[in-house]
Amino acid sequence: MTTGRARGVSGLRAWAAVIAAAGLSVVAAGLAGPGGEAVAKPPASMEFCKIYPTAHVCAASPVVNCTTCHTVPPARNLYGEQVSANLAPGAARPLSDADYIAALPAALRAVEALDADGDGVSNLAELVAGSQPELASSRPTSARCTPGQARNAAGGRWNTCGYDPAHAYRKVTLDVCGRSPTRAETEAFRRLLPSESAWRGALADRLDQCLRTPYWLGVNGVLWNLANAKINPVDSIKAGPRAGSIPLADYEWDYNLFAWLNTGDRDVRGLLTGQDFVKRVSDSPPAFEPVPEDGMRALRQAGQTVPRDKRAGMITTRWFTTVNTMFTPIPRTTAAAAYRQYLGLDLARMQGLHPAVSEPADYDSKGVAAPACAVCHSTLDPLTYPFTRYDGIIRNNYNPNRLKNFVRTDGARVVEAPEAGEIFGQKVANLMEWSQVAANSDAFAQKVVWDYWKLMVGREPGPADQTEFTLMWKGLKAQDKFNYRTERMLHALVLTEAYGRP
Amino acid sequence: MRILALIALIAALASPALPARAQEAAPASPDPRIKFKDGERYLRDLAESLEIPREEICLELSRYDCADKAFRIVLGGVDPYDIRIMQPLDQASLASPIAFDRVALQVCSGRVARDRADPAASILFKRAAGRPDAAWRDALADRLYDRILRRSPDAGERQRMAGFLEGLEARSDRSAKAQADQTILACFALASSAEAAFY
Repeated sequence: MTTGRARGVSGLRAWAAVIAAAGLSVVAAGLAGPGGEAVAKPPASMEFCKIYPTAHVCAASPVVNCTTCHTVPPARNLYGEQVSANLAPGAARPLSDADYIAALPAALRAVEALDADGDGVSNLAELVAGSQPELASSRPTSARCTPGQARNAAGGRWNTCGYDPAHAYRKVTLDVCGRSPTRAETEAFRRLLPSESAWRGALADRLDQCLRTPYWLGVNGVLWNLANAKINPVDSIKAGPRAGSIPLADYEWDYNLFAWLNTGDRDVRGLLTGQDFVKRVSDSPPAFEPVPEDGMRALRQAGQTVPRDKRAGMITTRWFTTVNTMFTPIPRTTAAAAYRQYLGLDLARMQGLHPAVSEPADYDSKGVAAPACAVCHSTLDPLTYPFTRYDGIIRNNYNPNRLKNFVRTDGARVVEAPEAGEIFGQKVANLMEWSQVAANSDAFAQKVVWDYWKLMVGREPGPADQTEFTLMWKGLKAQDKFNYRTERMLHALVLTEAYGRP
Repeated sequence: MRILALIALIAALASPALPARAQEAAPASPDPRIKFKDGERYLRDLAESLEIPREEICLELSRYDCADKAFRIVLGGVDPYDIRIMQPLDQASLASPIAFDRVALQVCSGRVARDRADPAASILFKRAAGRPDAAWRDALADRLYDRILRRSPDAGERQRMAGFLEGLEARSDRSAKAQADQTILACFALASSAEAAFY
């Protein structure tokens, strides 16, 4: 969302340069668009879902993309233009964030019955259904069959109008075991179809068998590859077996920890809060076990040197701090990576912004307090402070006095950077508290389920999937449902229509 | 050249409705969610079905595994370590269908070559005693559907397969090689069908 006009293009370019230097080039590209001043209003991406919690775009994430109202920020799309025209009409521009947030609900309500793209469907109906209110070619679609179609489908080879257990059985075998069921297995399963409890049992058994196979759990298996984008492996700096030319850390331990926490009766929140370090004892059959603390020293570069009480799962491992923190005193890349990889919130896309009061303080003199930078850094910097006591390359340890090492390169104020920070607008004393807040958030549960949904269903949750997707992530959090056990969640996921309908 | 000749032949002969069209088709899904099997799953399936060791079933230049090396990315694989592809491509690349066809043809050719080398243990290709007849064609269709799609053909599918084989036969001689080529092409038609590639 944007308000106001008329700041010089040259000034915007200068801001863009600063932002790009800070690694937020996507935001810079949006702000440095043609046409003079535009002040981005990133809080809108969060406020929108508070106003429309049932909108499709809010089902998978508590923030909406800028493109809900913009083409390329600050330029607005048709829907954004309607909202803008109804946003505190007559008030002086630019609006402050507080004024903007106060005026936004009324502006959104005012355009609900309008039809920005002229496709015959109101803005509100499109937002709820998941089609785009600014695009005439995007209209709500129905995935429902007519009664006649449903009758034909029920008698066909596949039931394309509803959940098809035989289709789900084949998919589970392929997705999780990595092979098609044999003809005999399929025929045996089909014989169970008259009894729902029987086929459900057989499907669950098949899933359980497959979840223990090397195809799912092994090196380069499905779970391993699910972690690729989180671990971001680089062979040139790999330590341990098959070490690279500059061995700094071994990502295999991170893959092991990821797989271990995503299997069996283990709490997946351990990805952010766990303190164990896990060894792959065997790859066929896959087996893992935690490494005793007194065995850590022998692992050298591969090991975990952070004291147990200072560990936060995957985000304090030697690999994670090596590739993200490196030598930076205030490791914004590290915090942004954790936020993106485990909470699904990409600050470069202005997602998950919760500006903190009096931030960014710019303790390391990087110029992030400039207005255009502060848009994101007022969230990013307090998000980062809890990571500042964790060394990156070489030491990989927790060091309460770490920032003293950076006075010469980053200025005297760098030591003033606190260990306390903020996440989701909540103050936290250190990374232990940060990781607890993160792990218990809706965003974490949504991201966990989103990853599996994309893997198993084969696409991101769509408009027709909203109800089932919400059941999955809320169920992941519920103690009486999946209680943060991903395998329990998978058992429910394969019973959804999204998964089992051809 | 032999592969090119085979592809040209199948292009000339294949009927659009040849592979795996159900006689009593269900209505098209209003929200289809089928997924590409990916190279590894595809070859694991064929290795099991056609009784060829997985590590031998498809090697480019007799050295590079089709799914793991030669066509890894275009067939839906990842390579996070060297070329930094962390997840399978969301959209199939332009080369994906070409690679897929190439893999299917190599697998079918390899199976038939094994069958010719050891007729007693043949899986797909069984030479007709005389001129191939309807029974031979139906038996071949049954074997192909059983091995590749893991089901029986329905009457319409069997009929279309027979017509396809008859068309091939009319353009070739009665030699064992001609029968083997027919078997390869029929195998290729099923192994490159949507039913074999997607789930």
